Amino acid sequence: MAANKSQGSYYTLFLVGCTVLCAGIYEYSTGLGKLLLIVGAAGVVGSLFGTLGIKSLEGKTALKPSAMVMKLVGAAVALLGWVITLFGMHLTPSTGGRIALALVGIAVSLFGVVFVLPAAFNKNAVWKS
Amino acid sequence: MKLIRGSCFLICLTALGLALGLTSASVAHAQAAAAAPAAASAAPPTADAELAAAASKAPAVADLAKGDPGGTSTGTISDVPPADSTKGVTVPDVANQVGQNKIAINFVWTLVTGFLVMFMQAGFAMVEAGLCRVKNANHTYMMNFFVYTAGLFSYWLIGFAIQMGGAAGNSNLGGLQSLTGEHTLSLFGKTWGLFGGAGFFLAGHTYDVGVMVLFLFQMVFMDTALTIVTGSCAERWKFLAFCVSSSIMGAITYPLYGNWAWGGGWLSQLGANNQLGHGYCDFAGSGVVHAVGGITALAVCLIIGPRIGKFNRDGSSNPIIGHDISAVLIGCFILAFGWFGFNPGSTLGASAAGNLRIGTIAVDTMLAGCTGTFGAILYMWIKNGKVDASMGGNGLLAGLVAITAPSGFVSPTNACIIGLVAGVLVCLSCAFIENVMKVDDPVGAISVHGTNGLWGVLSVGLFADGTSNYGGSWNGVAGSVTGLFYGDASQLAAQLVGISTLLGFVFTLSFLINLGLEIFVGHRVSIETEIAGLDLPEMGQLGYPEFVFKPEPDVLLQAEKQYAVA
Repeated sequence: MAANKSQGSYYTLFLVGCTVLCAGIYEYSTGLGKLLLIVGAAGVVGSLFGTLGIKSLEGKTALKPSAMVMKLVGAAVALLGWVITLFGMHLTPSTGGRIALALVGIAVSLFGVVFVLPAAFNKNAVWKS
Repeated sequence: MKLIRGSCFLICLTALGLALGLTSASVAHAQAAAAAPAAASAAPPTADAELAAAASKAPAVADLAKGDPGGTSTGTISDVPPADSTKGVTVPDVANQVGQNKIAINFVWTLVTGFLVMFMQAGFAMVEAGLCRVKNANHTYMMNFFVYTAGLFSYWLIGFAIQMGGAAGNSNLGGLQSLTGEHTLSLFGKTWGLFGGAGFFLAGHTYDVGVMVLFLFQMVFMDTALTIVTGSCAERWKFLAFCVSSSIMGAITYPLYGNWAWGGGWLSQLGANNQLGHGYCDFAGSGVVHAVGGITALAVCLIIGPRIGKFNRDGSSNPIIGHDISAVLIGCFILAFGWFGFNPGSTLGASAAGNLRIGTIAVDTMLAGCTGTFGAILYMWIKNGKVDASMGGNGLLAGLVAITAPSGFVSPTNACIIGLVAGVLVCLSCAFIENVMKVDDPVGAISVHGTNGLWGVLSVGLFADGTSNYGGSWNGVAGSVTGLFYGDASQLAAQLVGISTLLGFVFTLSFLINLGLEIFVGHRVSIETEIAGLDLPEMGQLGYPEFVFKPEPDVLLQAEKQYAVA
């Protein structure tokens, strides 16, 4: 099944939910703002669950399920590199030290992005079978 | 008596100087209105007398009615509106008019360059659709068309508030004093900006002429970042998933990093807080726009997987040729034209505060695009024996992407070097992403915008020559931005922190958001839809309904048959 009316309806609900949610954030200090925030969030969540409900009807995709853990590990490694860089800024006052630690952080992030994640996604890639 | 007259004259000059923006410009705007009346009361009679004399010499209405073919009589003191018509034009009137002219010039400059950047959407659409197969042309064009709408709406709702909600103080656009809502965090004894909080719906105090100009300019930049992703995920991205993903990116991912770099956030404070050069410097957005777009494209590409038939069982890849190289190259030219809005427009003004550097910025942009094209074409020619047109186009774009961050800080010679490196880098990166990472990027957007966006950010820390002077300081640090090769290694450190943030934080955030969408919405179209082409199943209409489609190459047909059976 391709694009359909339900998709259009749920995207409309998503947009309306986002608009009301943002109005709630803008007016958060008032009682009405808090109400709008809740209503908007409910709209967004409702639209996402709505799309989840019709997802299985949209046909089989050229993707095979793969382990979520490795994907999350890859993302965590990428994030770890950033954390190393941030701590490096406060670990040493010397410019050379900060550059070195930033490079270590970048290398760690790249390892996660370039090697761990593609390996996780390609392990059961459909083109391998 | 002479001394008193001299003092009065000095006060007048100071008032005029303030309005001209000769001193710290934000102060000039804050004080111009107050200083002018004070100067008026203290103005020596001679100044007003001179103005009165000038008014008497101005061409009369009858003279102007005869026409002014040489343009020598149009635009005189007669065009300066006096506050009190009975007194005629006074020194404060002239000072106010000069101040308004400065802001008007900057408004027009920023708006016109913003319009140029908006036109880049057409270039992106042509490049991306041209590099895709004809059966997906409508879908690819439509993604590029609709991303403008989806991104603009979410940016108006909340994105602008997050990004620029704390960006008060820009003197070029009149001070923007209503944007004072930066949320901060105190850490290690320093205050760090996290995200803005003023400008939701452009309502309340942000219903302001200067804020509107800034919104338009920043909006078209944001939309450029969003449209990068559509190219990488073309030919298999479900339209609904694209809509939701783009809306979220325009609302959260892009604005957050934009705030950190341009909206007074923590990256821009690295200089003032941590003595890292002038803080993270990204003049026009190699990092903020292009790397954010390219890195998000990589995140979504990993999740969405390669197109059917792209990779063989042994991991080798098959070329999937686009349907219209003429659209690709014309699109590249449109983008190169729009880049004259992207980079020179990022001064946010043409008058005062060192903004006359726009000439250098435009030439740097031009030269980097030139050498980027050379780099890619010569590399492919030497490597494969043929000039690769699509890679030549990508070389041009790579050079332009790379010069975007350093364009405000480097010399033309350095711009050539940056562009040349980018042109070669894009070829190497495309090969690496396809052959090593096994990621399918139909248009090479991850390499053009992601890899070269990072190279552009890095090159500021290497090549900035310390000659730029935008009002005497940058990111609150006095002096000019200077890179490693010109004596300031700490600027390189700031740039590396920016790169690390892009790779570590922006990538992870984009990845997790889109992984969530994969669970709830699903990014990829069905096998049947992909094989048929996305035009009919997703759009209900072929891009080229009267064309007779040439059959796909055997290798793709076999792959499609296997999937169809499965």
